[in-house]
Amino acid sequence: MDVSFSLWLFAVAAATSALGGMLGMASGIFIVPVLATFGHIEIHRAIGASIVSVIACSCGGAAPFLKNRLTNIRLAVVLEVATTAGALTGVLLAGIIPVPYLFFLFAVILFVSAQQMFAKRRDLGLAETRTESCGWADALKLHSRYPDRALERDVDYQVQRLPVGMALMYGAGLVSALLGIGSGVLKIPAMDTGMRLPIKVSSATSNFMIGVTAAASGAAYFARGVIVPSVAAPVAIGSFAGAVLGSHVVIRASSQKLRLFFVAVLVLLGVEMLLSSLGVHVF
Amino acid sequence: MSSEAMARIERRIAALLRYGTWLASLVIVAGLVIASRDPVGMRLAQLGIGLLILLPVSRVIFVLFALLRERDYRLALAAALVLLIIVASIAVGVHAGGEAPGRE
Repeated sequence: MDVSFSLWLFAVAAATSALGGMLGMASGIFIVPVLATFGHIEIHRAIGASIVSVIACSCGGAAPFLKNRLTNIRLAVVLEVATTAGALTGVLLAGIIPVPYLFFLFAVILFVSAQQMFAKRRDLGLAETRTESCGWADALKLHSRYPDRALERDVDYQVQRLPVGMALMYGAGLVSALLGIGSGVLKIPAMDTGMRLPIKVSSATSNFMIGVTAAASGAAYFARGVIVPSVAAPVAIGSFAGAVLGSHVVIRASSQKLRLFFVAVLVLLGVEMLLSSLGVHVF
Repeated sequence: MSSEAMARIERRIAALLRYGTWLASLVIVAGLVIASRDPVGMRLAQLGIGLLILLPVSRVIFVLFALLRERDYRLALAAALVLLIIVASIAVGVHAGGEAPGRE
């Protein structure tokens, strides 16, 4: 085993995960481009390593959300049918899709993430508006309530447009499996904009589902032999350590500056991935 | 499902995921430490990775049984479907082993 390479993998994963955690963002989106570009690791192996770290961060970070009663487990179970079906489709396509297409898809997701981070998520305040009721969500008793700290009371919310949510979740699961990312960047908007859920519930429930979605593709990649322990083990441990660290560190730097820094990093990685998809390798 | 029953299930899942992640991580770290001297450590790290992947799956199984106990059969069906899809995904992974790009 190359100890210095393992330490490099660990450090890269820990740093991206700690920084990403400060802004409530999973690190998977950084790990694959960095491993592929700077580590010269074959992209399917990078994706396999990343998906393991996604599981570690989702499971390791789930407890506080559950204890604050923000996670809607019932809704998660229903939406997981769509995310895992998407992941299964991704597993079927992963070996077939040409590598330049993967780089291109990655560039698109990086630009979408940059745009979302730039726009800064806000609560739409639709929590208690009872507009259209959804037959399926009623029948499965998916509506719930969560304790809102700012309002200092429980807020009831309704799950709306479940079919739209299911369709978007299928896409999120597909992207997650193809790129080795949690794709919270797709899941959270699917819930807060698509299904009109409070942002805190969307974040917590997205985190909860990410682990299962990643396990569906991770288990397949593990069986397939593309999760190489010498790469995946240091990356997984680094991400988890970084996530634990990130959640305990109070942001000293201005959060606005950090946000803009991340937007710049995402755009740069996106451009680099776009060039890679065209066969131009800068590094 | 009563809100007390739900709260109890949430607490148990939180504990399962938290301790499960730590256990799998410790196995991976032990494997890496051993691997710096003896290649056999990588097998242990691989075992830890396998445990980590199984952790969310065990969470779905836990939720499935909790729903069955609450006689919430519609939602239990959804949980069972999730498990079935994961099993199908593993089957695809096993089947496609030989020709997969990036394989060790």
